[in-house]
Amino acid sequence: MERVLGDKKAIALMVLPALIIFIVIIFVPIIWTFVYSLFSGMPGFKFEFVGFSNYIDMWSNKQTVEAIKMNWKYIFFVTPGQVGFGLLVSLMMYFSIKKYRTLSRTIVFIPTILPTVAVAQMFAKMYEMVPNYGLINALLDLVGLDKYIQPFLGQPNTAFGALVVMDIWTAIGFYTVIIYGALVDIPHEILEAARIDGASGVKLFTKIVFPMIRTIMITCLVFSFTGTIKLYESATALTKGGPGFATTSMTMNMYQNAFLFDQYGYASAVAILILIQCLLVTFIINKISREKY
Amino acid sequence: MKRKVLVLSMALLLMVSLLTGCADTKGTQTPPASKGNTTGTSSDKFKSRTIKFLSVWPEDDKNSNGWIISELSKQYGETVDGFDLEYEYVAIDQLDQKVKILMSSDDLPEICTYESGVRLKQVIQADMIIDVEKTFTELGIRDCLDEGAVSLLKNLVDGLGLYCVPLGMNMEGFWYHKGLFEQAGIEKVPETWDELLEACEKLKAAGITPIVQGGSDNWPMTRVLNAYLVRSVGLNAVQDAVTGKRSFTDPEYVAAAKMFQDMAKKGYFAEGMNTIDPGTATSMLMNGQAAMNYDGSWKASNLNSEDNAAGPEGIGFFNVPVVNDSSTLLDYSMNCGNILMFSKKKYDDKVADWMKFVFPKLGDFAMQETGSFKGFAISKMPEDTTYYTQLVAEHLAKAQNAFLWFEAKMDSETSTIAQNSISLLYTGEITPEDYMRMLEETAAKSR
Repeated sequence: MERVLGDKKAIALMVLPALIIFIVIIFVPIIWTFVYSLFSGMPGFKFEFVGFSNYIDMWSNKQTVEAIKMNWKYIFFVTPGQVGFGLLVSLMMYFSIKKYRTLSRTIVFIPTILPTVAVAQMFAKMYEMVPNYGLINALLDLVGLDKYIQPFLGQPNTAFGALVVMDIWTAIGFYTVIIYGALVDIPHEILEAARIDGASGVKLFTKIVFPMIRTIMITCLVFSFTGTIKLYESATALTKGGPGFATTSMTMNMYQNAFLFDQYGYASAVAILILIQCLLVTFIINKISREKY
Repeated sequence: MKRKVLVLSMALLLMVSLLTGCADTKGTQTPPASKGNTTGTSSDKFKSRTIKFLSVWPEDDKNSNGWIISELSKQYGETVDGFDLEYEYVAIDQLDQKVKILMSSDDLPEICTYESGVRLKQVIQADMIIDVEKTFTELGIRDCLDEGAVSLLKNLVDGLGLYCVPLGMNMEGFWYHKGLFEQAGIEKVPETWDELLEACEKLKAAGITPIVQGGSDNWPMTRVLNAYLVRSVGLNAVQDAVTGKRSFTDPEYVAAAKMFQDMAKKGYFAEGMNTIDPGTATSMLMNGQAAMNYDGSWKASNLNSEDNAAGPEGIGFFNVPVVNDSSTLLDYSMNCGNILMFSKKKYDDKVADWMKFVFPKLGDFAMQETGSFKGFAISKMPEDTTYYTQLVAEHLAKAQNAFLWFEAKMDSETSTIAQNSISLLYTGEITPEDYMRMLEETAAKSR
C-alpha cells in the first residue's frame, strides 16, 4: 500500500475523479455563465448573440450603476464593521471577561444562527413607526427626542443605515468566535514576556497580538467581503431593495434582470462582474498582507 | 504488474462509488400509487392521471382560490377513479421566475397560476397554453364564464383571445370608515377629486389620518396615482403612454404624479406609509386609525371577518372620484386577479373532463363558501349574503366600463421602475418630472 501511495501516477489516478467532479461543479457553471453573458434575452425565447455589449451597456444602465455604488458603500461600512466589532468583542472577552467566557461567547454567537428573515422581521419591528412606534422610535419618544422619530425603513438614507446596522449586528458573533479562537492560540509565554518588557494596551495589541492573529484577520476580511458583495437575503427581507433602489445590491439587480426583466444574458454579465470583483479584492487583500508582513 | 492492477482497481472502485453516490435513485424505486386508485384494479392504476396545479394560494386557507380549486377537485375525485391533484405552492413573488423556468424547459403543469396582461401575452405568443374560449366552447361550458371578466381578460392581452380563466372579479376604489367620516363632518362620499381633497382636509383637521395604503408593497401607492391619471386623462391613459401614442412626460401625466406627491406633502397619506404592508393598512382602516384605503373588492373577505372592529356595516365604498369628463363614476378599475392557464402540451381528455366538472360549479361554490366573485357565472346568490358582499355586487352591477391598474400594460422593467420609484415620489426624493421621465425612458426601450 505504501508503495502505491508513493507513486505519483497512482495518486493522480485516484485524485482524478474527484478533481473532474470539482472542476465540473465549479468551473463549468462559471464558463456557462460567461457564455450566457454574451447573449441577450432569455434562453428559449429571443436569445441572441450580442458579444460584449452587455458588459458595455452595464455602465449606462442607471439601476446597475446604482446597485454597484450601493454595494460598495455597503461593503465599505459593513466589512470593517463586522470584522472590527468582532475583533473588539473577542479582545474584550479574552482580556477583560474572566468568568462566564463560554456563556458570553454563546450569547454573542446567537444572532449568527438566527434565520436572516427572522432577524429582518425583528429589526423591521424595531424600526417601525406606523401603526405603532417600534423600539427605537419609542425610546426617542421616551427621552423627548420627538424630532428624530421617523420611518427608518421608508427613507433612502436611513434605510441604508438600518440595513448596515442589522448586518453588522448579525455577523459580529461569527467573527468574534473566529478571532477569539485565534487569540486563545497565542502562547501565554509570549504575552507574558511582552508584558515583562513593558508592553501593554495598544502597544501589546499592535506589536504582539495583531501580528499573531493576522492570518485569521485576513481570512475574516475575505469572508466578510465575499459575504457583503453577495448581499441579497437581508436586504430583500428588510427593505426589499427600497425605498426606490436605495438598498438594491448587485445580486438583487442580477436577479431582477434575470427573473423579472427576462434578461438572462445581461444578468449573467452582472454575475461575472461580481465574480471579477470578488477575485480582485481577495487577491488584493492577500497581496497587501504578504507585502506588509 | 500487481501494482498496476491494484492502482487501476482502486481507481475503478473510487469512480464506481462516486457514480453510485451521484446516481438518481428514482429509477429503482417503486412508483407510488396515486391516492385515487387504492380501490381500483390494476388496469385503473394504469389509467390513473395526476393533474398538477401550480398555485400561489395556500391549499388550506378557506378564503383562497387554492382551497376552492382543491375542494372542487376533491369532489371530482370522488366521481372518477385514478384522479389525483398534485398541488404545488409557490410564493407569489417567485411565480414569474418559476413559470419562466418551466416555460424554458417546456414543462408547464396542466394547471398553472399566472398573471394576466403582458406576462400572459408572452406565454400565448410562445404557443404553450390552450385557447380557453375555443376549448370551453368545444366542451360546452363556455357560458360558465362571466362576460365582464372575459372582456377584461381579452383586453389585457390586447385582443389576442381568451387564454386563461379568471379567479376573481374585482373592482377597486376607496374603502372608507363611516364613523371617522361622520366624526370629521363629511356628509357625503366624494364624487369629484376636489371633494376628495376637501374630505382629506377635514379629516386631517379632525386629527384623523385621511388615507392609508400598504405602501411597502409599492403597488398600493401606484394605484392612487393611476386613479387620478385615469380620471384626468382617460381610461387608456397608461396604454397610450406605453405604446408611444402619448408620452409619460406629457403635462397631464406629470400632473398626476404631482397630485400624488402633493397629497403626500399635505399629510393626506399616513406618515411612513411606504413602510406599511397592505395587511396593516387594512387593519388600520378597520380599527379606525385611518379613514380611507384604496383597495380592491377582495378586501370584502377581511371586512366580513370578526377582526373588523368597524363592525358588519362600518366600512363603506366609493368609486374613484372624477377629475374631469374624461371618465364617469360608472367606469371602474377592474381586474380578474391571478388567472389560471393550461398547458397545451399536457392537455388531454382527463384534463378536459376535470374542467367540465370544476368550472361550471366554481362561481356558485365560491359565492356560497367564501362570498366572493370569481369571474364565473353565479346562478343564485345566497340568502345570507353579508353587507360587504352585497356592496361589491351592487358596484359590479353598476360598472359600464373598466380601466386597468397602473402596471397592467407595462413590461416588467417599466413596471418595476414604476413600483420602486413611487416610494421616492412619496418621500419627495424625486420630482414628479423625474418619476415620469424614468417611466418614459424605460417604456421607450420596449416600443
